[in-house]
Amino acid sequence: MFDEKDMILEAKHVTRRFPAAGNRTLLACNDVNLKMYKGKTLGLVGESGCGKSTFMRFLVALDKPSEGEIFYRGKDITKLKGEELRQNRQNIQMVFQDPSGSFNPKMKIRDIICEPLLNFNKIKPSEKDATARKFLKMVDLPEDFSDRYPHNMSGGQRQRVAIARAIALEPEIIVMDEATSALDVSVQKTIIELIVNLQKEKNISIGFICHDLGLIQSFAHQIAVMYLGNIVEVMPGDQIEKYAKHPYTKALLGAIFDLNMDFSKKIESIESEAPSPLDVPPGCPFQDRCDHCSDRCRKEHPKLVDLEEGHQVACHMFA
Amino acid sequence: MALLLEIKNATISYGTREIVKDFNLTMEEGQICSIVGESGSGKTTVIRAALGLLARGGKVTKGEILFNGQSLLNKTADEWRELRGTEISMIFQDSGAMMNPTRKIGSSYVEYIQTHDKGISKKDAWDKAVRMLERMRLPSGDNIMRSYPFQLSGGMRQRVGIAMGMTYEPKLLLADEPTSALDVTTQAQIIRQFMELRDDFGTSIIIVTHNLGVAAYMADYLIVMKNGIIEDEGTREQILKVSENPYTKMLLEAVPSLGGVRYV
Repeated sequence: MFDEKDMILEAKHVTRRFPAAGNRTLLACNDVNLKMYKGKTLGLVGESGCGKSTFMRFLVALDKPSEGEIFYRGKDITKLKGEELRQNRQNIQMVFQDPSGSFNPKMKIRDIICEPLLNFNKIKPSEKDATARKFLKMVDLPEDFSDRYPHNMSGGQRQRVAIARAIALEPEIIVMDEATSALDVSVQKTIIELIVNLQKEKNISIGFICHDLGLIQSFAHQIAVMYLGNIVEVMPGDQIEKYAKHPYTKALLGAIFDLNMDFSKKIESIESEAPSPLDVPPGCPFQDRCDHCSDRCRKEHPKLVDLEEGHQVACHMFA
Repeated sequence: MALLLEIKNATISYGTREIVKDFNLTMEEGQICSIVGESGSGKTTVIRAALGLLARGGKVTKGEILFNGQSLLNKTADEWRELRGTEISMIFQDSGAMMNPTRKIGSSYVEYIQTHDKGISKKDAWDKAVRMLERMRLPSGDNIMRSYPFQLSGGMRQRVGIAMGMTYEPKLLLADEPTSALDVTTQAQIIRQFMELRDDFGTSIIIVTHNLGVAAYMADYLIVMKNGIIEDEGTREQILKVSENPYTKMLLEAVPSLGGVRYV
């Protein structure tokens, strides 16, 4: 379903360990292999603490993996240093969950949007105002917002500015870390529509971190489900109810409160909580919460296997 | 069914600004009511008023709030203390934040039980707390009692909050965005637990949430608020299926749904 020549980013065997107290290690990402394609959206779903943000931060070089490589256009971006690393940042930009936390409160919107462009000498300081207006228009904000400060705006408007700043350098990839989870549903909808329109217009690839399968399936081309640092399922973005095979993905789907659900039925959900990433059990990471757990699951770590095109599952039931 | 809570034409103001205008709500015993709306629509203000917890300067300037037929508006601090935690309880968005971070859960919990039941010994209070925690599906309640709030996960903290709130089996439980900081799986567990509270204790619940799915799943009656006024109200069927209100429709359409709209 995806053309391999459109692949622009590939993560290979990415593992990240953090040192923890008492000589222990916290395994945040374990052998993650993912691909991103030109102009397509990769949704990364999972519970808090499963390592989805840790992984996406590698793409924008905010952190480096302990092992593994991430190839962007054939170059391993985890090894970049100095000016080469700085130049590479133009290609991959990020939108954070809390826009007010990622803006300097003392900078005007005009300066916030134009800062990346000035850093890379793409515009002259005299062109700032015109440029800011152009980008504000692109994200459907009034042009005179360029004179405002971040605190004069609502959360949704701030998130639009964050998107404007991210697209200013015309990157090929934008990473969005729960970019809409702090917003009201009505605002969330308009932001998603904006993102989708910009993607179509500029052919941007998006890595979207999300914990809501209902939201991500409305605009992602491929969805990766992560659990305790492991990718447990990768599937096409449409009709996830049909594709979902892994018991964890099914559990996530069962826990969604949908307006079209049968309200007389009790909501299903796995009991218990995810184990700490400090002591990941040997074998399948999901074993303690799974209804289908067998001896094999306790001993052997399941590998991602292809079920059909664009659909991989890491579960012994399907291997 | 007996009438439990009545809010009649209440207007709530901070200073001279009217935040909530002419709010009406009637609740019977064992009923679950959801208040939904966007941020800043005044939904939290309503339930804080029902517990006398309005932030500084907030006041009910018009109308009446009756609980079991008694007005809640002119209660003294002592009268409130009698009522809160025994007759009416509240669950906050993050129950960890309402607990003293430098004290273990057990210490706060025992103090809470002893405040409302002067005669109970420390040991009995402790046992009661442990029983309550285990009833809320927290394994090894003893262990929880010996932990600090920060040592527990968000879902566990929320369960502790529910256990505390339910200790005296209040008639009315107010929940302010109780699951919006939680993962979907934990959210489903907590919501299921809320539903069991009604089955087990006959508790009436008012839940304030921006998650329309959760609101619709839980509620017998839904109230949609916008800019401090009730924009729309009705049973689940009426709101989800029948309502012609454009604002309600807009909100419902914005909720992402499985197998729903795809933008790509």
